[in-house]
Amino acid sequence: MLFNSLSFVVFLVVVLSLYYAPILNWTSKKRMLLFSSYVFYGLWNPPLVILLWISTVVDWITGEKLAIEENEHKRKLWLLLSMFVNMGFLFFFKYGDFLLENFTLFMNAVGVDFQSKPMGIILPMGISFYTFQTMSYTIDMYLKRTERAKTFLDFALYVTFFPQLVAGPIVRAGDLIGQFYEEKRATINQFIWGLFLFTMGLFQKVVLADSLLAKTADDVFGAGKSLFPLDAWTGTLAFSGQIFFDFAGYSTCAIGIALMLGMVLPDNFRYPYASLGFSDLWKRWHISLSSWLKDYLYIPLGGNRKGIARMYVALMLTMLLGGLWHGAAWTFVVWGGLHGSYLILERLQRQYLPFKITPQNGIFLAFLTFTCVNITWVFFRAREFSTAWNMLKSMLFIDLDGEKILQFFDIIKVLTLITIMFICHWIMRNKSMKEVSEKTSPWVLGTVWAVLFFFITIAQGSGEQFIYFQF
Amino acid sequence: MNLKQSFIIAVIISVISITSWELFWRSQGKYPTLNDDKSLWAMHRADVETASKDDYIILGSSRAYFDIQVKAFEKATGKKPIQLSSTGSSPLPSFHDIVENTNFNGTIIMGVTPGLFFSTTFPEASPWKRIQMKVDYFQKRTYAQRINYALSIPLQQNLVFMSADEEEWADDIDLKALLKQIQIVKRTQVPTMPPFYNFGDVDIDRNMSMTHRTAIDTAFANTVIKVWRFYGGITPPPDKKTTITFFMKDLDKFKARGGNLILVRFPSSGGVRAGENKAFPRAEFWDDLVKQTNLKSYHFEDYESLKNLKCPEESHLSAADAQYFTSEILTIMKADGALTNYKTN
Repeated sequence: MLFNSLSFVVFLVVVLSLYYAPILNWTSKKRMLLFSSYVFYGLWNPPLVILLWISTVVDWITGEKLAIEENEHKRKLWLLLSMFVNMGFLFFFKYGDFLLENFTLFMNAVGVDFQSKPMGIILPMGISFYTFQTMSYTIDMYLKRTERAKTFLDFALYVTFFPQLVAGPIVRAGDLIGQFYEEKRATINQFIWGLFLFTMGLFQKVVLADSLLAKTADDVFGAGKSLFPLDAWTGTLAFSGQIFFDFAGYSTCAIGIALMLGMVLPDNFRYPYASLGFSDLWKRWHISLSSWLKDYLYIPLGGNRKGIARMYVALMLTMLLGGLWHGAAWTFVVWGGLHGSYLILERLQRQYLPFKITPQNGIFLAFLTFTCVNITWVFFRAREFSTAWNMLKSMLFIDLDGEKILQFFDIIKVLTLITIMFICHWIMRNKSMKEVSEKTSPWVLGTVWAVLFFFITIAQGSGEQFIYFQF
Repeated sequence: MNLKQSFIIAVIISVISITSWELFWRSQGKYPTLNDDKSLWAMHRADVETASKDDYIILGSSRAYFDIQVKAFEKATGKKPIQLSSTGSSPLPSFHDIVENTNFNGTIIMGVTPGLFFSTTFPEASPWKRIQMKVDYFQKRTYAQRINYALSIPLQQNLVFMSADEEEWADDIDLKALLKQIQIVKRTQVPTMPPFYNFGDVDIDRNMSMTHRTAIDTAFANTVIKVWRFYGGITPPPDKKTTITFFMKDLDKFKARGGNLILVRFPSSGGVRAGENKAFPRAEFWDDLVKQTNLKSYHFEDYESLKNLKCPEESHLSAADAQYFTSEILTIMKADGALTNYKTN
């Protein structure tokens, strides 16, 4: 089920009515939330709910065993079981065809005549998100960093909680399970603020991403020919805005919906396009994934505790795997590799060419970071390397003879919107929406809210899927 | 932070602004209609799963869609047909879907618009892709999508501003369509299509009828004619051999399980008809198709009662003429024994 759909609106009204009606006790409310979450997921493809159940049961049992088991060898085996099941799902469903394709290429390259047919496996929605979430619980239990869930119901709800089930934020057990122990009711202000966030998230998705930016990005990346530099840049900037508004829109909706239920989910985006460098970017973009990768990959790989060379290797490996997490294609690996390279270069700069960031050079640095991020988006969006190379040649003014495919209005529309987005991110980089709204008059806030809702209504949209669902 | 006050203000302004938006467009002559989209197509495609030998399916492009009127068809045969025609589409992918993915062995009436039927089998070409997209949607649609569509029907039927049609008509009033109307200076070398205004209304039975305005307003009908001319100028040459070969394979399979297929060449007139006669000479395309398939086939030019029908925008019949055409062609078919599953009293 998609947030930007009529069925979800009805679903949410029913869930909220049952949640706040004085007919259920807290345990029954949690059961209702769990059942609703399975319905939310199952209306997409019912049989794939079974994967959720398996993941839930395996990690619940593992957590129970790790809570009492003291034998280090046995603890490791329990951890491996959880990793095997979760990573097994991920590899089979997400990377099966990719591995097979590359194995075939490898065999052919070494002279073995081997042919394979794609397995055509359906990718379960949000599998990368919920497997990472459940694994974080097991790993934290193994490392004794978190308490075991009090009941199976609490744990199952943690794995399946519908607001963040299919595209995050990836929440740690300590941040969410504890919220299920005692009855939660949103205060009137929390509830209304949650509704505002839900409206804001839908506006970002339906109006900004789908109605204003998606087509330009699709036209440019689907052109299949060499493009004029302005067209290539406009398409890339359009995608840059589209993916931010799409994903941040989802997270904003998720946080808002959870808040309407009285639950608090962590921020997933903090105005990332005003980042001052790439370390800053990854503290602002998809925060729940970057902190997951840091805690469960970068630090176990040695982090910055085992010398500079090892740190760079850990950093690069983390980013390459982070790239692969986004999709089973080499273009995503290159995207991750570019981010890894940027992070390494930034650390070298800090070591050998340090300088103080001031408000004057800050905006220049933010703009430079944003420009470099756009280069990486080319690999993220392009389905083939040939498309990416063509785009880069145009964007770097190596190829000036490409075709003009965008009309003036499309270019003006995208450039205006992206400029406004960049300025907003810069202004808001050290603030939060909550803070700003607290200082805003109710009339202004109410009017802004109505404008957002009006645009959502007239944009309608065709229920486009969120980009990150495929990851 | 007084959020309650903000919320009340937001609700009041939203109600006022959306009501004003709705009333404004109604004052401009718009009225609520269903969108002709893949969800509606899929809803009717699902009916094929339970259809029997006595049922009828209509396949084809917009001519089979506009010119066969569901109620007139039901009146003439006693059965409501399953209308699966699709604008701007070849009928081959939907026929292939029915042959390969169902056991249907009733009657299929297939419209043959030469420019689309003989166009191509290339999956990325528009006449193929447009209908294949609907077929794929049907095969993959989720329960959530089905519920969304069911919920959207009353809204589409009662609110003018619910107008985001897949066709992206030039007179749609959703945000994307409104922005599309803003044209500054032409920058690209790509030929620009003239504005394509919606000229038909569809209902829940997938009965498509030409709007009253198209039938009576020559200037408006001319805007549609300009679009046909535009397409006539950019359409690649036909691929008769490949399309017939593809079709024959499915036809043999359909016949083998007892299915009855009838071909119909629906009326066109004026410049469109002249262009079709030139690009797709009857002897070379229609007559050859009929000969190769050996099917019951009906060309509007062969019947006194049909050959002089005039299409207001040169390609489709007005709603009134379509009623007449439906009754007449079915009378001809019945007399000819083409409707093998038709039971007389």
